[in-house]
Amino acid sequence: MEVLRVENIQKEYAGHKALDDISISTKKGEIFGLLGPNGAGKTTLIRIINQIIGPDKGKVYLDGKLIQRDDIGKIGYLPEERGLYKKMKVYDQVLYFARLKGLSKHEAKKRINVWFEKFEITSWYNKKVEELSKGMAQKIQFISTVLHEPELLILDEPFSGFDPINAQIIRNEIMELKAKGTSILLSTHNMNSVEEICDSIALINQSKLVLNGELSTVKESFRSHTYAIQFKGMMFGFANALFAGYSLEHSEQIDEDRAIAHVKLLKGNSLNDLLKTVMPVVDIESVNEVLPSMNEIFIQAIQEKKGGNNE
Amino acid sequence: MSKIGLIIKREYGSRVRKKSFLVITVLVPLLIGALGFLAMWMSIQETKKVNVLISDPGNLCDGKIFITDTVNAPAEFYFVNDVIAEDEFQVADRYQRYDLLIGIQPEVITNKAIKGLYREKISANTEHYIRNRIELRLEEYFALDQGITLSEYRRIRQEFNFKLENIDPNIQDTTPAQIVGFIFSIFIFIFIITYASQVMRGVIEEKTSRVVEILVSSVKPLQLMMGKIIGIGLVGLTQFAIWIAIIGVGLVFMRFFAFQDVMDPAVFAEMMGPANGTQNDLLDQQAAQSLKDSELIYLIYQGIPWGTLISLFVIYFIGGYLFYGGLFAVIGSAVDSETDSQQVMMPVMLPLMFSYLIGVMVISNPGGPAAIWFSQIPFSSPIIMLQRIAAGTVSIWELILSLTILAATIFVILVGAAKIYRTGILMYGKKASWKEIFKWLRY
Repeated sequence: MEVLRVENIQKEYAGHKALDDISISTKKGEIFGLLGPNGAGKTTLIRIINQIIGPDKGKVYLDGKLIQRDDIGKIGYLPEERGLYKKMKVYDQVLYFARLKGLSKHEAKKRINVWFEKFEITSWYNKKVEELSKGMAQKIQFISTVLHEPELLILDEPFSGFDPINAQIIRNEIMELKAKGTSILLSTHNMNSVEEICDSIALINQSKLVLNGELSTVKESFRSHTYAIQFKGMMFGFANALFAGYSLEHSEQIDEDRAIAHVKLLKGNSLNDLLKTVMPVVDIESVNEVLPSMNEIFIQAIQEKKGGNNE
Repeated sequence: MSKIGLIIKREYGSRVRKKSFLVITVLVPLLIGALGFLAMWMSIQETKKVNVLISDPGNLCDGKIFITDTVNAPAEFYFVNDVIAEDEFQVADRYQRYDLLIGIQPEVITNKAIKGLYREKISANTEHYIRNRIELRLEEYFALDQGITLSEYRRIRQEFNFKLENIDPNIQDTTPAQIVGFIFSIFIFIFIITYASQVMRGVIEEKTSRVVEILVSSVKPLQLMMGKIIGIGLVGLTQFAIWIAIIGVGLVFMRFFAFQDVMDPAVFAEMMGPANGTQNDLLDQQAAQSLKDSELIYLIYQGIPWGTLISLFVIYFIGGYLFYGGLFAVIGSAVDSETDSQQVMMPVMLPLMFSYLIGVMVISNPGGPAAIWFSQIPFSSPIIMLQRIAAGTVSIWELILSLTILAATIFVILVGAAKIYRTGILMYGKKASWKEIFKWLRY
């Protein structure tokens, strides 16, 4: 079920196009990665979804209906540039944010207790924010973002500033929310986390949508039909056996008589053909397809774009 | 509670609960009260009496100074019909109880020279008093010498009851009230500058700590800005109300415990000078004159239209605060830190400072063209109008016009401020120029 749909969004700032015809959508229980280099327009898009600013053109739908001011309570937003009132007590602060999101005092207090107990931080209630470490403050911000149980959670660089242990805690919370059906829009530069947790992605570059779709489909489209073959035998013989239909991309000796070779299939050759070709000269131990990492896809997509612009 | 209500509550609560607020709110009126009490108390305190020894070999004074029977006479006179040598007065035991020696030579009739020697410097007031009494006494002597009777002389000497009054009997112009008006306008100035700049600091705090990004995903920037402006304004009004209450209670307390005698209606009547024609006797008149010293007490308890001034203070504080608070919110949203704000603040601070200067100029001429214009122009009207009100030179339509112009300007400023604020709070890492700020109006 579709939760968020953004249609043909355009936004201009004083002659500079920040977003150019962007359309994306997220589903219930899905983690959607919003990717792009710095200055691509991600934050602008997120602000438009949050109704902090309005688009010049295009529409935003939530649950199939045009988004309204009151829908703000259905969205949780953890901005990249985030902060808290330094002099305010932790408890009062979370309560304040929750009430601004529309929770009643009673309900907000109940949920604060649940979350603080879950994170084992009830002793922080009366601490002032200025007494907290950065990681502690981030936890408070995360709780503030999810306390009102939003349908759509927008997380801008949620892991920055966390140590690996706390990052793992937050990652688990995100997965738990996903399992409960929350639709999560995740903006990040951390491609490893994209690979680990995202179901779908969109890549924005220079205000345009460059890639969009399910992570597996995107990866599929960037397949290079390259296989990693581990074998026992002579590298020399292996290389000689390959003729014009294959290209040896990379090779590496594991020990005296074992090696791994990355071979790309050319001209409509299949993996079977490749295996038939090399089986007579070496003993094959394993074969794996080499899929591009998100990092490689990211760089490749952006460089292609640059190349296109230069032409 | 509505969102704007929540914001107001936070802005208000977080400031009112601060220790510094409590300290200032309680200490300032106590300080004002203490100083006020001191001033009033001193105005009726008996100063140390100066014992004056008059060496009068010609017996011109006849051993008498007539007019000494006032309540707090600063000096007492003693007579010797002999010449006293200066060094003898300085050292002789029998003269040690006298502070001042005045020699009246028989030639005084022609050379009009009187010399006195003191042991310790005498205050200007006391000196004036002593001189005045001796002159009066000698004038009487001259008059008798010229064949004028004492009662005839005293009639000539009596001061004219010279009085200028406003042609409109409903208007009572009093200079002290004007000064009180000026004090009120200083207070309004201080309140506006204090609380409007708190708006700016609050906006900067939210912007630099990046709380603002979280907030605007929950509330509209307009709600956030107005909540802040209203919340802080209420802190100002709270402080003012507490001050008024403490000072008010203090004044009532003092009235009943410290200045009970002075507040006796009979004494009051006397204090306010001679009633027409009833006090022909110079003795009585002089007595009344000396009591006028505690006019300050009368002014504070009876002479100031506290109710009008306080209610208009509240109205014009709200007006001036919204006017400047809106502008300061704009500045706060446009800069990235408080240090950056100084430069951008100039165009807003100038009219405020200028209004204060106009206020100083207007004290002496509250009905003049400067006062009339600047009590209508919205950037200065909150500061100038109170002074004119105190001086009683304002007609009701002028007041209504001034408030209408102020309200209309505030509306325009707040609408513009909200537009600029909306863009400014999300602009990090750069200090905007006024040119850019105006550009944001169109975003």
